[in-house]
Amino acid sequence: MSTFSGLNAATSALFAQQRGLDVTGQNIANVNTDGYSRQRAELQSVGGSTVPAVFSVGDKVGGGVSADTVIRIRDRFLEGRAQNEHAAAASLTVTQDALGQIEDAFREPGDTGLQSQLDTMWAGWADLAKETDQQGSGARAQVLERTRTVVDSLHTTDRTLDQQWQQTRDSLGTLVADVNAAATSIADLNQAIKRGLSGGLPVNELADRRDALVMKLSEQVGATSALRDDGTLTVSVPGATLVDGTSTIQLTLQGAATSATVAGDPPRIVTSPGGTQIRPSGTAEGDLVTMTDLIPRFRAALDGIAAQLAGQVNPLHQAGFDASGAAGGPLFVPSTGAGPITAKNIQVAVTDPGKLAAAGLSSTATGGAVSSDRLNAGAIYQLRLDPAGADATYRKMIVGLGVEASVATSNLKTQSVISTQVDASRESVSGVSIDEEMTNMLKYQHAYAAAAKMVSAIDQTLQTLIGMVG
Amino acid sequence: MMRITQRAISLTSLQGLNANLSAVNRLQEQLTSGKKISRPSDSPTGTNAAMLTRADLASTDQQARNISDATTFLDSADTALQNMMTQTQRIRDLTVQALNTGALSSESQGAIAAEVRQLRESLLGQANTVVQGRPIFGGVTAGRTAYDAAGGYVGVGGTATVPVYPVTRQVSDVEQVRVDVTGPEAFGPNGSNLFDVVGDIATHVAAGDATSLTADLDALDAAFSRMSDAVADLGARQARIEKAGTINQSRQLSLTARQTDVEDIDMPKTIMELNMQKTGYQAALQATAQALQPTLLDFLR
Repeated sequence: MSTFSGLNAATSALFAQQRGLDVTGQNIANVNTDGYSRQRAELQSVGGSTVPAVFSVGDKVGGGVSADTVIRIRDRFLEGRAQNEHAAAASLTVTQDALGQIEDAFREPGDTGLQSQLDTMWAGWADLAKETDQQGSGARAQVLERTRTVVDSLHTTDRTLDQQWQQTRDSLGTLVADVNAAATSIADLNQAIKRGLSGGLPVNELADRRDALVMKLSEQVGATSALRDDGTLTVSVPGATLVDGTSTIQLTLQGAATSATVAGDPPRIVTSPGGTQIRPSGTAEGDLVTMTDLIPRFRAALDGIAAQLAGQVNPLHQAGFDASGAAGGPLFVPSTGAGPITAKNIQVAVTDPGKLAAAGLSSTATGGAVSSDRLNAGAIYQLRLDPAGADATYRKMIVGLGVEASVATSNLKTQSVISTQVDASRESVSGVSIDEEMTNMLKYQHAYAAAAKMVSAIDQTLQTLIGMVG
Repeated sequence: MMRITQRAISLTSLQGLNANLSAVNRLQEQLTSGKKISRPSDSPTGTNAAMLTRADLASTDQQARNISDATTFLDSADTALQNMMTQTQRIRDLTVQALNTGALSSESQGAIAAEVRQLRESLLGQANTVVQGRPIFGGVTAGRTAYDAAGGYVGVGGTATVPVYPVTRQVSDVEQVRVDVTGPEAFGPNGSNLFDVVGDIATHVAAGDATSLTADLDALDAAFSRMSDAVADLGARQARIEKAGTINQSRQLSLTARQTDVEDIDMPKTIMELNMQKTGYQAALQATAQALQPTLLDFLR
């Protein structure tokens, strides 16, 4: 037994407790750092020989303590779950937000919505139906103006939805660029961590930064990660592996650049090189759903309403007679000249108020005179009650939109609760507790003091021995 | 056991505070706008009800205007016909007076004939009464008169070749009421209409033709009864319009009440909710302040 083994053990204890205090200091410093995982100095007692052999037996007490490794306390399973839940929450947030914007575009229920403008237009026809002065009062001009207002409102709503589509595409383009940048950073960090590990350097902080980037990718495109033996992280999205060791694959946004061609060429995210289409979740999924389903669906519904309005009014208007007794033409025509009427191209064909076919009787029926009856205006006024008419269809669509938006809102609420719980569990594992750090500090402090005392005790013992000899 | 850290507490506290504050915000929004539903997702069924009620209210408003318009029209026709009946009565008296040939001098016959002609002019004037630009007895004519100066019907509808095309007003979603009477319906067909008969009387009185006058008197009586039929018909329609007006008013009231019910907030309830929410928010703030402050640090010396 060595005379100084006690001193050695005490020295190693001094070093280990110091290390413990250092780690505590680092933890306290990062108590509010996002994505920081608390660290712990792994104390390990140093024992005697582990393999008994002829020349290595002894009755040693042990060689003290070592604190070589500092570990990061983190639960990989919880991290994986958090990635999934954050992706789901991000996707739902986008959907809910998009539906909210669509609701804003329709401005219902209220005085500026299409419903109230349709009501006003029909009332205009009723005023024309009871207009008595054939020579023209304001009633005809009023109908024309109100009809134009309805048409303008259809145009405005359609354009608002189109702009929303464009903005969504732009923001998805930015997101893809952001994802590519993050993937490159992860690959760089993989490289640094791999080198650090082989050189025995601390990589905990680098790993924290890498995990934060992966979480960001999860929210953006629903990326998941797997840790490999060499310490690198493989990041994949459904359909492609984004980061493999130190190499990355880039993503690009392809497909329709404007909403006009969305049906034949839907926007999609593909790998470059490779051109494989990925099936993202997260924000990208929400954006893609908004562009390929939500906005086109509600625009198509609006187109249907415009076509229905024209289909209802035009035949009646054509069956009537204008102020000069001539047969009426179509009231609504597509501005493109031909083709189906949509919310974008609908326009009022009549510019002269006198050309509104308010009368229902031809000059033949009235024996050659121009009729001043308003039967046709009255009949057009009654169109608003048609259960299969534009008004009823519009209301049905708005109710459908409301249901969809409120379902999206409650889905998001539920998902937020789940995400919060997972985050709380993560925080519970990896978060820094000041109370805990304080107790650790006391623990290391006292242990340090005890080790120091140990050194002085051994010193005194040796003094005694040396004094005896001297 | 779950490890609780200061950061976890502050995160969950923040979330709770946010939730509380957003509830306060929603209630505050409702209170300032006075509306329960500001977007369809607030209440899809409520939105449907609100939109339907708005459309119904717009219809009812329009029909109320139609009803008042119809009343004006019917009243004007009624007044015109009543006046004309009084004058026709006067013409009858004059005719009977003229029939007593022995008692009258030729000057008096001349005077009676002149008065009858004047009355005929007046009758023609009444028959051309114009309401809001339309001659009320002219059917669906685009012109400004129902009868020309000679007493011929120039309106459209009610003649042998052209049937009557009623001028109607929509007084409810399903009910239309006719508001006009064509000239031929009220005054008889061209050639034997009121003005023709009165013209004949004037001529016959001037000529002292008692035989023709007796026949004229019968024709005048027939014209008179035709007018009184028309007045009765107008009266019946006025009653219908009045009824429609009453229904319209009560419908407007109930629709307005319904709209308020569907769209507007219940003020006391919302204020109460806001107060409760505020209390909750304050409690959360206080609890957070209490929970976040102390750490072990406060107790170490």
